[in-house]
This record gives sequence, C-alpha cells and structure tokens, in this order.
Amino acid sequence: MRLKFDEELNNLNREMILMGSMCEDAINTAIRALIKGDPDGHKNVSAIVTEISHKEREIEDMCLKLLMQQQPVATDLRTISSALKMVSDLERIGDQSDDIAEIVSMQNISDADDKYEILDLGQAASRMVTGAVDAFVKRDEKAAREVIKEDDTVDDYFDKIKKELAKSIQTDEAGLEKTLDLLMISKYFERIGDHAVNIAQWVIFSVTGVLEGNTK
Amino acid sequence: MTKQIFKHMQILITIALVAAFAAVLGILYSYFGVVQEGQVRSEAKLAAQGVEADGISYLEKLDLDTTRVTLIASDGQVLYDSEADAVTLENHADRPEVKAALADGEGTSIRFSGTLLKSFVYCAERLSDGTVLRVAEPRDTALNIAAGMIPFVLMLIIILMVCMWFAARRVAKHITQPLNQLDLDHPMENNEYEEISPLLKRIYVQQKQIADEKGRLVRIERDFTAVTQHMAEGLILLDEEGRILNMNNKAGKLLNAGDVYIGTDILALERREKFRKVLAGALLEGEHGETVLPYDRLSYQVDVTPVLDGRKVIGTVVLLFDVTERETAEQMRREFTANVSHELKTPLHTISGCAEMLESGGVKPEDQKKFVHLIYTQVQRMITLVQDILYISHLDEGAVDMNCVKIDMCLMTNKVIESLSHEAEKKHVSVSLESDGEVIYYGVARLTESIIFNLVDNAIKYNKEGGAVHVSLHAGAHTVTLKVADNGIGIPEEDQSRIFERFYRGDKSRSREIGGTGLGLAIVKHAAMLQNAQIRLDSRLGEGSTFTVIFPEKAPDEKAPMIV
Repeated sequence: MRLKFDEELNNLNREMILMGSMCEDAINTAIRALIKGDPDGHKNVSAIVTEISHKEREIEDMCLKLLMQQQPVATDLRTISSALKMVSDLERIGDQSDDIAEIVSMQNISDADDKYEILDLGQAASRMVTGAVDAFVKRDEKAAREVIKEDDTVDDYFDKIKKELAKSIQTDEAGLEKTLDLLMISKYFERIGDHAVNIAQWVIFSVTGVLEGNTK
Repeated sequence: MTKQIFKHMQILITIALVAAFAAVLGILYSYFGVVQEGQVRSEAKLAAQGVEADGISYLEKLDLDTTRVTLIASDGQVLYDSEADAVTLENHADRPEVKAALADGEGTSIRFSGTLLKSFVYCAERLSDGTVLRVAEPRDTALNIAAGMIPFVLMLIIILMVCMWFAARRVAKHITQPLNQLDLDHPMENNEYEEISPLLKRIYVQQKQIADEKGRLVRIERDFTAVTQHMAEGLILLDEEGRILNMNNKAGKLLNAGDVYIGTDILALERREKFRKVLAGALLEGEHGETVLPYDRLSYQVDVTPVLDGRKVIGTVVLLFDVTERETAEQMRREFTANVSHELKTPLHTISGCAEMLESGGVKPEDQKKFVHLIYTQVQRMITLVQDILYISHLDEGAVDMNCVKIDMCLMTNKVIESLSHEAEKKHVSVSLESDGEVIYYGVARLTESIIFNLVDNAIKYNKEGGAVHVSLHAGAHTVTLKVADNGIGIPEEDQSRIFERFYRGDKSRSREIGGTGLGLAIVKHAAMLQNAQIRLDSRLGEGSTFTVIFPEKAPDEKAPMIV
C-alpha cells in the first residue's frame, strides 16, 4: 500500500519537475524573443504554455486523487498540498511569459535601444524561477530563501525602469506605445518574480511545515 | 515446537488414561461379579441353615437391607418373600436358579429384574424339606463402580497434567535445544541429530554456492566501480522510471549531485529541455538519442541509450563526454570558411565591377589603365591570399617538410629585407638589421623564413609614413632570439590576445587600405609552434610593437646542409 503511495509521490515529483522546467523554457524563450525582437517567439512560447496548462490539470488531478485515496498526513500532506498551490503559480509564470512574447510579436519595441535594463530584469526573474524550481527539486530551504531575497533585486530593477520610462513618456511622445509596451513587459517580469517567491515559500512550507510571509 | 510436543503428549496421556480406565473398569466389574456371587451364595447357605433350624420364623426375624430372601415351595409357589407379599407373587418354578436348586440342590443366576429394573444375583438352596430358599442381591453396575472411581481418576488426571506440563517443557527443551544451538555457519560440524543431517548438508552446499556467488558479484562490482570511477566520461545508469541506479564520480561532479543520489529522479539533477527530450525518447520509445549540453563552460555530448529487454525498456545508460575541443574546432572551421569566402569575395567584386565597366565601354580611354591596374592589384591580392591559405592549411595538416638544416639567420633576414625593400621604400620606412656576429640556427628553413618574412612585412605595413623597423638577432646560450621592433601604429591591448587568430584584424577600417590577408600572424604562430619557438608581443598603441621569437636550441648538426 505504502509502496504504491510512494510510487505515486515519485510520479508527482517528476511531473512537478517537468512542469517547472517547462516554465523555465517558457520564460527563457520569451527572453530570447525579446532580445532578438523575434515575432515568431510568441508561437514557441504559446506551444509551451499550452503544454504547461495540460500539465497543471494533470498534476491537480493527481494531487486530488492522492488526497482522497491515501488520506496523507504530515510531510506527505504538506508535499501534496504545496504541489497543488505551486502549480497555479507555475501556470501563471507560463502565462506571463506568453504575454511578454505576445507584446514582442507586436513589433512596437523592435527598434527600442533601451531594452538592456529590461533584459537584466528578465534575466533576474528567470534566475528566480530556476532557483525556485531548483529549491523544489532539491527540497532546499536555503535555496528557497535566496530566491525570496532576490525578489528585492527584481523590484529595484522594476522601480528604476518605471522611473526611466516615465521620463521618456514626458520627452518622447511619439514613442508612447513603445514605452507602454516596455512598461508592461517589465511588470510581467516583476510578477513572474513574485510567483517565484510564492513557489519558494511553498517549498519552505513543504520542508519545515511553517508557512511564512505574505503570499501575494 | 514445545507447543506441538505438549499437545501430542496431552493427547497420548488422555488416550492412555481412558484406555487404562476402561480396562480397569472391565476387570473390576467381572471381579466384583465373582466376589458378589460367592457372597450371595454363602448368605443363602447361612439362611438355609437358619430356616432348617427355626423354620420360616427365622426369615421373618432377619433384618435385611438390600438383600431379598424368598422361600419357594417345591412346586414353585412362593411361601415367603422379604420384600413383597408372598400371595401376590407368581409361581417361581420356572426361574433358572430355582430349577437348578430343585434338581441339583443349588443354583445361581444373574438376571435383570423387570419388576425392579435392576440386575440381580440370585442364589437358590434346596432345603431338606424340598423347599427352596432364594437369596437375591442387586448387582453393582459398571456405572456404579465407575462413578465411585471418578474423583480419583480426575485427581489423577490433574496430577498427571501438571507433571506432564513440566515434563513436556523439559522434553521439548531437551529436544529443541540442540536445534536452537545449531551452528548454521558451519552446518557440517553439528552431529546431534542424524535425522537432520540431509538438511544440514543442503544448507552447507547452498551456503557455499551463495558465498561463491557473492564473491563473484563483489569482484564484478569492484571491477565495474574501478572502471567507471576512473573514467574521464560521466556514466549514469537509470531504471525504467528514470531514477538513478548508479553513477560515477565524473557524472556526479558534472550534475552537482550530492552524496545521496541513488533512487532520485534524474530530472532532479538535469532538467534542461534538450536532455528531457532525448531521455523521453529513450524511456518511452526505446530510441538512442544524443545531444550536446554545456557544463561549466565546457561542452559535453550526452548519449542516452536505452537498455532493452525484448521490446521493453528496462533502463537507460547515459554517457557524458567532453566535446569542447571538437566543438571549438568545428566553430573555428566554420569561421575560417566564412572568413575565406568573405576575403575572396571582396577582390572578386572589385574585379567583376571593373571588368563590367570596361566591357560596357563606360570608361574613358584615359581611365582604362587605372581600371586594368585595379584588376591587376586585386588579382595579385587574391593570389597572395590563396597562397597564404594553402600554406596555412599545409601547416595545419602537418604536410610541411620538417627537415632541419643549418640556417645563417643574418643571411636569411637580409634576403627577406631585400625582398621587402620595395614595399619599405613606398612607405618610406627604413629597415635595419643588427646582429652580434654569426647567428646559426638549426631549423626548418621554410618555416623560419615565413616567420621572419611575415613579421618584417607586418612591421612595414602597419607603420607610419617614414617609420623605422629594427630587426635584431641574438644567439644566446641555448636559444636564438629574433626581435622585430617598429615604431608604428601599435596594437591596442584588447586586440593583443587575438591578433594571432586567422583573419583577425586589429583596426578593421584601415586593414583594407593596408592590404594583407589577415593570415600573416596566424602563419607565424603556426610556424613557431611547429619549431617549439615562443612568441612574445610587447606593444603600445601609437608607439609601436615589438615581436620577439625565441627559438629553442637544437643539437648542432654539422652534417646538416647549409642553405644559402
């Protein structure tokens, strides 16, 4: 009985890793599209995001089945319930990557020469996602805390970019659409960072049993 | 075991007791029958004597308990009965004991009395007057006897059970102790019970087999571990679910696995998309797959091979090996091809353009010469380029004649300077040579010449108008040093590490007007490498550059031919 349960927990773990890596792929593909200003990037990201949505359903089903059939307690219960919460954050990360790629595909920002700051922000957000997935995979509380700490960097980047874009709205009225697109992309990256923080908090919960912080 | 022994003893004892009890009962029953019969007979005799003496009144005076006395007339009529009224009783002439008494003087019979529902022992005695006196006593039934014995028997059973409990324990212990103390590590040394020796023998044989097998497995594992742990490649074995069965140190290092990795999902250590794809291909489709992944700035080829049992995938072997060199070489080759085509295309465009203009007649007659000259110089450029490319690919292939000869370095350098004097004059660059006496180097003539040529050529080309090139030769204790210094444009610091690369040009905007193929220093580097010579570069932007080549000492070979 326990053997079967363990097997199912292993499967759950594997599916979570897969979904996590898909999200990494999604955000990295979006960033690549942003660097190259590639309108086709949106197609690639969308394909990944569809897969992510399927995976989310699959994992939710798995978790509910496990909860009903095995009635887990203690660590197992924490693992399953945090997996349930984490998939929705992962799914949001995928969606927001898709949104970024979509904005890139509109080609308003293809001639923007001030993307570098945003790319830094994007890389930081991507690092956070990778860190969060890593922390989950290794059940590493320390790594999870580092992810939470890195959110400050992302927030700083975002504030800086926001100020600069606000300035450019005043000076350059022709490029208003471009500026707004850049702002949206920055916001999406910032949100991705927040979701990574949520995931990290759920990792800490599943390891220590203590749910901390203000889950956004 | 003790329980079994106890149970069986219990059953045995119960059976024995019951059997003994039944036997004793049977014996006692018949014994009591005989005794009672004798008793009743003697009672009858006594009563008969009493009646002979006192008549019937004797009987009436008797105080009787269970004994019944009957006096019967010779015709069978009952004269007296101690328990019933004589008149009511039927004729007793047909009773067997009465019959026997009338005939023989005495008779005995044991019968079941229908009136009293009991067995009785009857003894009849004929008196002298012909009447018969009969004495009857109820017979003890077997049940009565048994009932009398039951308390004793029960007590006996309890006592026996208690004794048996202790006995059984002792016996069981006694029997099982040698079994418990069997030394199963050395089964053949036990000889307590002959009955279990086949078992012990079997254990002995199997133990030996197991030990042999274990030794074999340990050896195999040791060999396997020794081989895999010292491999330069990373090796990972996965089960059919993709969990790690084993992996060697190298793979552990590459994947950053901690100490506890057996049983963890491989995806927990490596989850990049390329890897996931080939792994899924191997696990689900049973297909061999390979991909290249970067690890710590090195490129590793990852081969994923499924282990098949029939058509079923039972595991996967993942092999990681360093292909950085191959990848770099491939990239260099790609770049080289791209560069060569680019370098060849540029003069071709000029030639084609000039030729087209000439053909269409759109060139003024006085300009024609200029165009033809342009075509000529571009063709010359292409020839030099192709020569250089051919030369460097010769060097690459190692197809150069490596025969060492005795080289007079001063003579060779002078020749080179002479051949370049035209170029130097055009740029008004003075070239001087300084050497301390005769400098002899035993080396490959062509390589050495190309080093000197390219360095001096560069020093002239990348020089200012009216600059100076100073070449010096010095024979050290174990080395020959060639120094080419100029006071030209110099090389910026960030380019210094790259100028020996093929087609790398420091200042791209100026390189075209200067000419050259971009292969000169690559050739110098290669030629120096083949002769184990070292190159040093000391340069400052705007002040000039100094290239120093230090040729290692070679055993002086007087027989080597001198080149002139």
